[in-house]
Amino acid sequence: MTAPTIPGLENSQPLREPPQRKAKKSLKRLFLAAILVIPNIILLIVFTYRPLIDNIRLSFYNWNISSTRAAKFIGFDNYIEWATDPTSWAIVWQTIIFTFVAVAGSMVLGLGLALLLDRNLKGRNLVRSLVFAPYVISGAAIGVAFQFVFDPGYGLIQDLLGRIGIESPQFYTDPHWALFMITATYVWKNLGYTFVIYLAALQGLRKDLDEAAEIDRTPRARKFFRVTLPQLRPTTFFLSITVLLNSFQVFDIINVMTGGGPLETSTTTMVYQVYQETFVNSRAGYGAAVATIMFLAVLVITVVQVRMQDKEQ
Amino acid sequence: MNISRRCILSLAGLTISTAALSACAGTGSSSSSEDKGNGTLQFWSNHPGSSRDIEQKLIDKWNKDNPDTPAQLIDGGANYEELGQKFNAALSGGDLPDVIVASDVTWFNFAFTEATTPLDDLWKDNNIDTSTYVKTLLEDYKYEDKHYGVPYSRSTPLMYWYVEDLKKAGLPTDRGPETWDEFLNEWGPKLKEATGKPALAVADGSNYLDWYFEGAFWTFGGAYSDEWDLKFTDPKTIEAGKFLQKIVDEGFVKVVKDSANEFGIGNTAGLLESTGSLGGLKESAKGDFVTSYLPGPKPGTTTGGAGLAIPAGISDERKKVAVKFIDFITNTENTITFTQETGYMPVRTDAADNPEQKKYMKENPNATTAIKQLEENTKSQDYARVFVNGGGQKIGGALDKIVAGQDVEETFKALQEDLQKVIDRDIKPNL
Repeated sequence: MTAPTIPGLENSQPLREPPQRKAKKSLKRLFLAAILVIPNIILLIVFTYRPLIDNIRLSFYNWNISSTRAAKFIGFDNYIEWATDPTSWAIVWQTIIFTFVAVAGSMVLGLGLALLLDRNLKGRNLVRSLVFAPYVISGAAIGVAFQFVFDPGYGLIQDLLGRIGIESPQFYTDPHWALFMITATYVWKNLGYTFVIYLAALQGLRKDLDEAAEIDRTPRARKFFRVTLPQLRPTTFFLSITVLLNSFQVFDIINVMTGGGPLETSTTTMVYQVYQETFVNSRAGYGAAVATIMFLAVLVITVVQVRMQDKEQ
Repeated sequence: MNISRRCILSLAGLTISTAALSACAGTGSSSSSEDKGNGTLQFWSNHPGSSRDIEQKLIDKWNKDNPDTPAQLIDGGANYEELGQKFNAALSGGDLPDVIVASDVTWFNFAFTEATTPLDDLWKDNNIDTSTYVKTLLEDYKYEDKHYGVPYSRSTPLMYWYVEDLKKAGLPTDRGPETWDEFLNEWGPKLKEATGKPALAVADGSNYLDWYFEGAFWTFGGAYSDEWDLKFTDPKTIEAGKFLQKIVDEGFVKVVKDSANEFGIGNTAGLLESTGSLGGLKESAKGDFVTSYLPGPKPGTTTGGAGLAIPAGISDERKKVAVKFIDFITNTENTITFTQETGYMPVRTDAADNPEQKKYMKENPNATTAIKQLEENTKSQDYARVFVNGGGQKIGGALDKIVAGQDVEETFKALQEDLQKVIDRDIKPNL
């Protein structure tokens, strides 16, 4: 005898499948998941984790990359040399300055542009495309083009400054101006990325909060800091991680514009140091040690950022 | 986005396990098996002296004459260093080329590490006559009595002067300053006063200042090194460093990234550049110019540029074709073509006797300066620049610091320590 059912609630009870069929179904799902996931895991192992492991392994060796002779195991010597060389710390400092300015600069400017172009202005679609375009152009091409902007002999800046009687800074021979030059070029290139992400986020903001602020006649600045910016927090967090990781890996612009100089290392960042040591000085082991240190630094920064975000949430 | 404790622990585990792995794994040697290639000879070049078109023309000629062993021109980078780096990557990753352009600062490292092959036996086995190569240029590629390259785009620094500027300053147009003192006391001030421009543009340390100014150190009695003995703390070397700082401070010399362009657009009266820029400057210079030797006492400068080498890791069959290809590319007829198009020095002695070349030299007196200077005013480079890994770049960086006003003695002392470490670690144990 079956239990009486209450009219209208006949389907409120979950349908119970026989245990055998349930097990079969979950096996099927597991199989499907495996088919979808395994190729990607294989690709990750081959192209990401294996090189990572190889790199860490290499960092314990002294190996001239062009040599056919076997590499020599030297333990932590590469790490000790890195830590005791003042040039390494100068490069770390340059990397921090470059990364900080690149992240802050491209995010602040990207947000500013997004706020401006989120309005109903004439020709905004064209301007949006123009702002985004540099992001898809190769860094090497931008590096070459910007030499015509910064060159103190014939560049655009010297021409403009010359008209008001000011001499152009020596962008290629002065270490500070050289670092400014590559940072400014990098920010210009990446502005389009932060702009597009912020623009998308702005268009997804809650309209009711905006309307409430307007009804309360909240001043613009207060509305931006109290209503708009808090809603953009997840986007800001996402951008701070992705822009930071990208800035850490800048190579092409430095290679084309300054080659890491002037004064040998004034615009060298850690990634560029890896390249210099491995392929210019042929010290693949030492280059691998620098790469490992950089990997650990990025890992720590990312974990701290994620933790901070979790705490806030 | 969420990273769990488990995730972090996994990453930490990964790091520890990879460190453990490193202790038991072998590493670091290029593949010992011979690379058989794909049947087409690959010539990796950075097209020195904007020579892409002429190189392609020479390869087309080879392909016409040798349809069974075709060759292909591969872009190896924007400069000698990039090509060297690309070759380094190929050595560890496979797909080796058949012939590479190896510069004055890269060939030795490749020979020393056995990445390139000695050519003497290949010449003998394939009946290749090397007697007409300019001997001093060929001997530059000798290490332990074996040759690891042949001269190709060989150059020497020259001084270029706008004739009009020299006339304005009342200076002779048939020679350059005979000593660096003459440059400091006469040429520099006169040109600056008459034209309002620096007398000379020179490339910075990232663009071979260390090569252009190497001879100047010799004229002061100093040097970068005497074989493996570094000389940066020698009083004469320091004196030369201070001299460089002085001529920049006085505004007689402008150190820039692209010196040929600086001169080409007329921002300086003169230029210290490679003879390989002669072809380009004929097109781009703002007015008529003459070339001159570098100041003495002799030898006032050195040779440079690049040669051609063959990777050791390719099959014997490929080496056989490669050595014939090199002989073809640098034969007398092709040397003449290459020289006339680029401004590089002829690498074959019989090229100079060729009527066509004689006619060219007569019509282009600027091109003869380098050839005469080679005989009269040059010597081979110091080991510290060309045989020490990254040596040229480190010396260039130090010269940049001196140009920027840093203390010469301290800069050279730090450079000496840095290079000594490289010699002791990478070279001496393997000599």
